[in-house]
Amino acid sequence: MTLKSRPGSLGKRLTPYLYLSPTMVLMIILMLVPIVIVIGYSFYDNVIMNKHPVFIGIKNYAEILTDKNFHQTIYNTAFFTISSVVFHMIIGLTFSMLLNSKLLHQTTRSIFRVIYVLPWVFTAAIIAILWRLMLNPNGIVNYFLNIFGTIDSKVEWLGSRDTALYAVTFINIWSGYPFYMVSLLAGLQGISIDLYEAAEVDGANSVQKFLYITIPQLKPIIVSMAMLDCIWTMQQFSLIWMTTGGGPIRATEMLSTYTYKLAFSKYEFSQASSSAVIILIFSMLLAFIYVRKQKARD
Amino acid sequence: MKKNLLSVLLSIVLLASFLTVPVFAEDPITLEFSQWWEPELPQGAFRQLIDQFEEQNPGIKVELLSGPYSSTKEQIVAGAATGTMSDVVGLDGAWVNDFVKQGAITDLSALMKEAGYDESQLASQIQLNGSTYMIPVVNFASLLFVNNDLLSGAGIEKIPSTRTEFFEAAKAITNAEKNISGWILPISLETPNGIQNDVMPWAWASGKSMMKDGKPDLLNADVKSAVEYVKSLYDAGVIAPGAFNMKEQDKVEEFTNGRVGMMFDTLAHINLIRERNPELNFSVAAAPAEDSYTGERGITYASWGIGIAENSEHKAEAWKLVEFLMSQDINAKLATIANAFPGNANAAPDLSKSDPLFSDAFKVYQAGHPANEFVGLPVAEDLMRSFDEEFQLMLDGDQTVDEMLANAQAAWEKEF
Amino acid sequence: MSKTTGRNIGKIIVIIMLLIGAVYAGFPVVWMFLCSFKPNTEIFAYPPTFISDTFSLNAYRSILTNSEKIRFFLNSYFVSSVVTILTLFVSVLSAYSFSRFEFKLKKTLNMLIISVQAVPPITLLIPYFGLIVALKLYNTYWALIFTYMVFTLPYAIIMMTGYFNTLPKELDEAVMIDGGSRLLALWKVLIPISIPGMISVGMYTFMQAWNEYLFALTLTKTIEMRTVPIGIQQLMGQHSYEWNEMMAMSILGCLPVLLLFLFFQRYFIEGMTAGSVKS
Repeated sequence: MTLKSRPGSLGKRLTPYLYLSPTMVLMIILMLVPIVIVIGYSFYDNVIMNKHPVFIGIKNYAEILTDKNFHQTIYNTAFFTISSVVFHMIIGLTFSMLLNSKLLHQTTRSIFRVIYVLPWVFTAAIIAILWRLMLNPNGIVNYFLNIFGTIDSKVEWLGSRDTALYAVTFINIWSGYPFYMVSLLAGLQGISIDLYEAAEVDGANSVQKFLYITIPQLKPIIVSMAMLDCIWTMQQFSLIWMTTGGGPIRATEMLSTYTYKLAFSKYEFSQASSSAVIILIFSMLLAFIYVRKQKARD
Repeated sequence: MKKNLLSVLLSIVLLASFLTVPVFAEDPITLEFSQWWEPELPQGAFRQLIDQFEEQNPGIKVELLSGPYSSTKEQIVAGAATGTMSDVVGLDGAWVNDFVKQGAITDLSALMKEAGYDESQLASQIQLNGSTYMIPVVNFASLLFVNNDLLSGAGIEKIPSTRTEFFEAAKAITNAEKNISGWILPISLETPNGIQNDVMPWAWASGKSMMKDGKPDLLNADVKSAVEYVKSLYDAGVIAPGAFNMKEQDKVEEFTNGRVGMMFDTLAHINLIRERNPELNFSVAAAPAEDSYTGERGITYASWGIGIAENSEHKAEAWKLVEFLMSQDINAKLATIANAFPGNANAAPDLSKSDPLFSDAFKVYQAGHPANEFVGLPVAEDLMRSFDEEFQLMLDGDQTVDEMLANAQAAWEKEF
Repeated sequence: MSKTTGRNIGKIIVIIMLLIGAVYAGFPVVWMFLCSFKPNTEIFAYPPTFISDTFSLNAYRSILTNSEKIRFFLNSYFVSSVVTILTLFVSVLSAYSFSRFEFKLKKTLNMLIISVQAVPPITLLIPYFGLIVALKLYNTYWALIFTYMVFTLPYAIIMMTGYFNTLPKELDEAVMIDGGSRLLALWKVLIPISIPGMISVGMYTFMQAWNEYLFALTLTKTIEMRTVPIGIQQLMGQHSYEWNEMMAMSILGCLPVLLLFLFFQRYFIEGMTAGSVKS
């Protein structure tokens, strides 16, 4: 049972793979195989609906990339993803700093931590339902805005082209920041107190401590999370689908809803696969940059 | 350690596969029946009917698999693609064409012939290329619901029956200060069936059509006048706010809360409205027709349909279940508990214990003819969706009615 | 200005900011909570009501007296807990490898692990489903457990690698010089220090498994195997929603999760002292 690396070079070279083997087995069987199948699908005229699919090369890709609705989709997805990631980060960092404040009693902190983590514990369907109710023209949000005299008409937050994309992004920010907050909270615990004490001796104020100690110390976590969040947000589906269905008039159409409609509304499974592969390529690009960056840091 | 891990993993997989090896039942055949009806009906009611079937057919057991309605379609597609589809499935008319194309559901005409079934007792069958693939088990008619208090409060005595009357009533009812609207139009793109339930009925009610010889015909004068009419309602500001993101389930809550004077709605909602707001005073009537129209009214309907899986190993037994559900007594019972109208031509719903509005509705239904041109069309949901997108653009003022219809027609033609 | 006044002012500012943040974070959930006690029609009332005149626990009653729905909760807890434990176990091993070894395929594998999660699940659904059927896992807990592990492992591995990277190698080398094995070093030194990280990863894993809908629906078929998100979706009927019951079901579902969090978050503070050991 000993894994202590033996001098034998083969054993030594294999050790890291031994530790990785359970992950690899799962990932290869359950993730790589289906992905390869999907990539395969994307080169046929149509699968699942057709008994005898015909190989057509990259025609599906050409069709999608020249679809004018697809361009709108890219814009929406970029806006949605970048805003979500940026605000997740800002809000997550702010809240985790506040919750980590030594000025507060431990019980106070515990209570606030539980409140702040609330948006995270609900399934997408219920978040969508809840916000649809609140942002309904006759909902509580309009009611408060009316009372405080900010508006006097019924704003259709999710039903108007002008506001729907912002509203959906807002909901996604709300539902996603606790994930950052919790991870950063854990990260903050790892920063040695000595660093801060040393800085205090040098006469650093809190802003300086934040900029020169906290941020650099958290940077690896922040970068990893931002990259993963980009990948996840890019394919966020349920929340958008159940709040707006991509509407009104494609105002909130994202790569994910676009892909879904290709698959289960038009039954063009091959085109949907191509669209999925396009998303995969984007993400691989991100992952590539991330890994390169990591290498540079090492 | 690696060995251990791998062997743990392997034994997990093995164990799991042992646990899932199907138990081979000797004699009784088990039919899987996946549908979304069971949760829609009073608790235990559907199971009771099925128990009756099992009693009559010893040797056949029925396992009811119920899923959320909104995901039923995906489940059938995925099930058919992987060979795990249930023997008998609940269907919506809008899906039939695509499932036939996928080879998911079987030709019922052949099964009926084999069983020597008398087809004349079926009120309707959904056919493609001359063969039946879906049988509507019960039908939900959609009529005009009117809030009587709002109507009379606005000084309107009679339930509108023509477009002009409807327009005037909607205008009179609308009161922005009191937050009351004349009509409500749910056309969310998530579930674009508002096009089927709330827009097209303006054409269907007057016996008009959006199809010609099995091909889309959106450019005809009748569809145009219907769309222009809805546009005029929208421009007059009589439609409740939030239309572009509203779903059927929101529509009924707005009406129940007394904020909407009139809506097109399924009769399945009568009991729901009564239960959720017992004080609401409302009536049902046929959808308004063109002013000059005197013929039979088209009544929009939707069905709970039934079909049999192509990959079922027990098609004959599956047919027995369908036959049972379509038999006169059982079908009438099911229709009664579902607040729907029966799919068996000879069955009559037992309206004695129902809300009096159901008898009114049944009279309207019988005086008219059922209309829903989306049933059986290819990618029907997508047709509604592409129509909906253009429709929203038009309502929002980005294009004229003519441009809208031309765009929608072009999008539809691609699918035929 | 004395130091205490400064501290007090700072404390007041922090509390005010926390309260503002709490409204943003908590109000929607409070609203959900209030709605769970209302009759369905009142949820749509305008002007909105806060505490209903017809306050009732009916929604909760109808969930808690329904054995099928109780089963949804048990399934969800079982699957999510198993996934959390297995994911933590497997990811710690992988992270250790990524953090403490140099090997040929390191970058490639790392990139692969990150990017495989990039395909939208909806397009993977059908091939994945076929695979599960072929492996004879259809309608079993293992189908869900393996699926969620595959979904959560990438993040877990990346994060645990990150935490291990912040810990100096001398720590585990000290154990190994004393004659301990690598596993002993991992178990005795790295894992205890990384508890805050493991808890945040565990939380994430649990929430992912807890909230997943699409695969839970497709990979199971019988009512005994269904999870809470499916139960919630089942309340969204063809013609109408049971708004208050959906709300009540989510509230009931989240309570144990929040209690767990309340219990585990104290480790954030304990972890702090452990983290300072390293310098």
